[in-house]
Amino acid sequence: MTVGPMFDEWYPVGIFGQLDAAGRKTMLMGEPIVVARDDNGDAKVTDGTGRSLPVCVRYGHVWTSLGDPKKKLFAIPEADQPGRRFVDVGVVRVRCSPLRAVENFLDIAHFPFVHTDILGAEPHTEVQAYKVEIREDVDEVWATQVEFYQPQAAKSASGGITTQYMYRVAGPTSTVLYKTCPPRPSEWDVITLFVQPLAEDLCDVWPWMALFDDDTPMTDLIHFQQTIFLQDRSILENQVPRLLPLDPGMEMPTRADLTSVAYRRWLKRHNFTYGAQLVAQ
Amino acid sequence: MAGEAQNPLKERMTIHGELDADSFVPWIRRHAAKLGVTQAITHHSPDRIEIDLSGAPELIDMLEVGCLLGPIDVWVETIDRRPVGNAGG
Ligand SMILES: [Fe+2]
Repeated sequence: MTVGPMFDEWYPVGIFGQLDAAGRKTMLMGEPIVVARDDNGDAKVTDGTGRSLPVCVRYGHVWTSLGDPKKKLFAIPEADQPGRRFVDVGVVRVRCSPLRAVENFLDIAHFPFVHTDILGAEPHTEVQAYKVEIREDVDEVWATQVEFYQPQAAKSASGGITTQYMYRVAGPTSTVLYKTCPPRPSEWDVITLFVQPLAEDLCDVWPWMALFDDDTPMTDLIHFQQTIFLQDRSILENQVPRLLPLDPGMEMPTRADLTSVAYRRWLKRHNFTYGAQLVAQ
Repeated sequence: MAGEAQNPLKERMTIHGELDADSFVPWIRRHAAKLGVTQAITHHSPDRIEIDLSGAPELIDMLEVGCLLGPIDVWVETIDRRPVGNAGG
């Protein structure tokens, strides 16, 4: 199949701080690539024929594209804010569509059932009405005014609180979550999910965080987030169909799924269909 | 509630967008049938579809959310809903 317009977008392909000269052999949309440091210490990405691909280093990760990106990588202003800790969580390989990985991250309703007693708990399973829009000026999907009760919203939270969230889709496989920051009520903690599409049904997921938390040891922050993503992986690897349906077909989305619906509408509008199923089966 | 079942919501749903595909009307009928919402399509043109609906409010909500996506060859721009009175229809 042809990749379509997703060919020209940016994708994460590794943690910059972990690169060496030998490089990391990996895949991007079915193409073998090598991510390495050159003699100057800069990131360098080459495809199977030795051709150099576009590169940018941002948010702890190396980003590249098989095509010709029309825009700079999306902005996360909090990445330049003093006082935050930046956490390269690492990689989780998931046997699922890269679009499914993003959609799962956008889904609040699964918290009490998948992340029981961490990000949610029964009987607090109801998702309150929230606001979803496609922001035309930045061409991004935003969900705001999302509220949810959580037993332990973050590593730094000591008890249950009602957490506020904002969700943002900044690229076809890049999503940013803003959530209540327990030690600093006026700021948002930033938790991202950067997804590297290896194939239409296989991806490497690179979570990254920018937090106000001076106390929790780095290994605990990483472990907390990895625990959450491993819980998601078992759900993601069992989803049917494997690809993300753009026609809801047999699925019956509800108002609680409006963020997922907006994401799928946005994918459809851009013809971002690598990892998508176009016709309901 | 028993009251809801006896008096299902009656609404008119107006869909705007690029709807010039034969796939959409049968798609809406199928989706409504799966949800158990009664529908009557009262207008159908390339940029507007009007449907009279009767059913439980949360099921009509689900029909609206489903229609926002719709089949792949259709682009839904907006969906408006308004109650239909007994007299005015
Ligand atoms: Fe999750």
